[in-house]
Amino acid sequence: MDRPVFWPHFSSPVRSTALTARLGRLIGIAIGICFLTGLLSHYQYGPWRWLPEPASPAWGYRLTQGVHVATGMAAIPLVLIKLWSVYPNLFRWPPARSVKHAVERGTVGLLVAATLVQLVTGFANALNWYPFRWDFVPVHWALAWVVAGSVLLHIGVKLPDIVYGLQTRVADGDVLSEIPWNENPVSHSNAGQVPPPATPALSRRDVLTVTGLGLGAVVITTVGQTVKPLEPLGLLAIRQPHRGPQGVPVNRTAEQAQVLTIARDPAWRLLVRGPRPYELSLGQIEARVEHQAWLPIACVEGWSALAHWRGLRLVDLVERAGGNADSVVRVRSLEPAGFNTSEIFGPQLSAALLATHLNGARLDIDHGYPLRLIAPNRAGVLNTKWLSSIEVVS
Amino acid sequence: MKTWRIVLGVLGVSAVAFGTVELITGVPLPSLLRVAVWLAAAVIIHDAIWSPGLIGAGALLSRVPARGRRYLQGGLIVAGALTVIAVPMIYLRGQQPPGKAILLQDVGANLALLIVIVAAVSGAAYGWRVVSDRGRRGAPDVPADPGSGPEPVDPEPARTR
Repeated sequence: MDRPVFWPHFSSPVRSTALTARLGRLIGIAIGICFLTGLLSHYQYGPWRWLPEPASPAWGYRLTQGVHVATGMAAIPLVLIKLWSVYPNLFRWPPARSVKHAVERGTVGLLVAATLVQLVTGFANALNWYPFRWDFVPVHWALAWVVAGSVLLHIGVKLPDIVYGLQTRVADGDVLSEIPWNENPVSHSNAGQVPPPATPALSRRDVLTVTGLGLGAVVITTVGQTVKPLEPLGLLAIRQPHRGPQGVPVNRTAEQAQVLTIARDPAWRLLVRGPRPYELSLGQIEARVEHQAWLPIACVEGWSALAHWRGLRLVDLVERAGGNADSVVRVRSLEPAGFNTSEIFGPQLSAALLATHLNGARLDIDHGYPLRLIAPNRAGVLNTKWLSSIEVVS
Repeated sequence: MKTWRIVLGVLGVSAVAFGTVELITGVPLPSLLRVAVWLAAAVIIHDAIWSPGLIGAGALLSRVPARGRRYLQGGLIVAGALTVIAVPMIYLRGQQPPGKAILLQDVGANLALLIVIVAAVSGAAYGWRVVSDRGRRGAPDVPADPGSGPEPVDPEPARTR
């Protein structure tokens, strides 16, 4: 069946299965990294009681979530380059040869759609920008499985092309057009000893080189939001950690949390619930500050900052209330709505501080004055601020 | 290879199915419809607007002689990668409380600086190529690249097939 005359024909000699296979390997690795680090981040929100989050390394979440966001951002230009390389495939004729072929093309459509939406909304979330009107976390979670599954399926479907592409030198190999490489009579691979197609301007090797340079430039200019030594190079960094109060950014200000007044109330008291409940006044808390730690605060949105914290050991207060280091403890915020509570148990409970001081000064109101939780290897959103009570749950 | 393809296919379909169930059970219907609209819009915007735009830009670039075009294309790809990331930041600048330390930078100016750097590096690489071509050929006015003439434009109309 011949193509209609109006049907687009591509003759770009730069596009090649050999090139696409290499770009595809790169985006596959990037999506794999995002998926695995994403699973780790998701687990932070609801760990099983029998498998608590570890407390060390303290920088664990800082690393995995920093990698998650940096990789996801770099994947945006990468996926655009990868899709550029296969655009002629959209114009295969006939559009579907069989039901099986139609299904295969449908799964590619799903892969493209889910990947683009996942990357764009993930980036938007890191920008604190919500043009999408849905709850980010459940959709990002579900789409992650759709993307990862579509990638695996795509690798399975395209495996012969991938093997051919990766085994061929990038300058050799077919010219990718709207005709499949293994049916293309002028394709190098099918025509025996044919000289590599001429690419007078940008070569295929050049595409890989500038892709690497472009992604490198994106990473170096953005990753300063979590890698301190690169902060001066962070011309496109979403956050500049040193510009936050006390040298640490916040994700939710006291004003946004509607605690400006109640958090400053001198009559504030911390309620400690458990078998032997009690209360501590502001003065009693401040008189007990005797522990300190260097701990990073690492946000799900990809920024982080190492900081010096002083305060009380959470487990000391828990023991006085009749609990112990094996207890499950729930902390609550003064914040009336939103993410205002979290559970802590296992190694993180033993290592947790109730912080009163940050980088040598009393906590800023935006950092959770009068008292906040800080624990190692723990997502920032779970380090509850403006504490009102702690409760020994079990 | 066949075993691998089956294993990958089964794993892939299972993960897609799990994700779909999570989506349907975890997200209320109005949000679900919005997600569906976004999924469709992503493909349409990419395939019908972005990619034809790229091809049009490529067709314009094809007028540039090949030796220089190589460096122009390379520079544009690097600059494009940076621009894609920067544009939403330019749009969103200064909309959040300053304590969040978010989007405080003049990203527009920073992006301009980065593009100047990319242009300078591409230009320097091109200059190096011109000089080394002259040195190799010993004849300054002869074009180094015999393939620098007009080439097929992408896409070109169907001809023989």
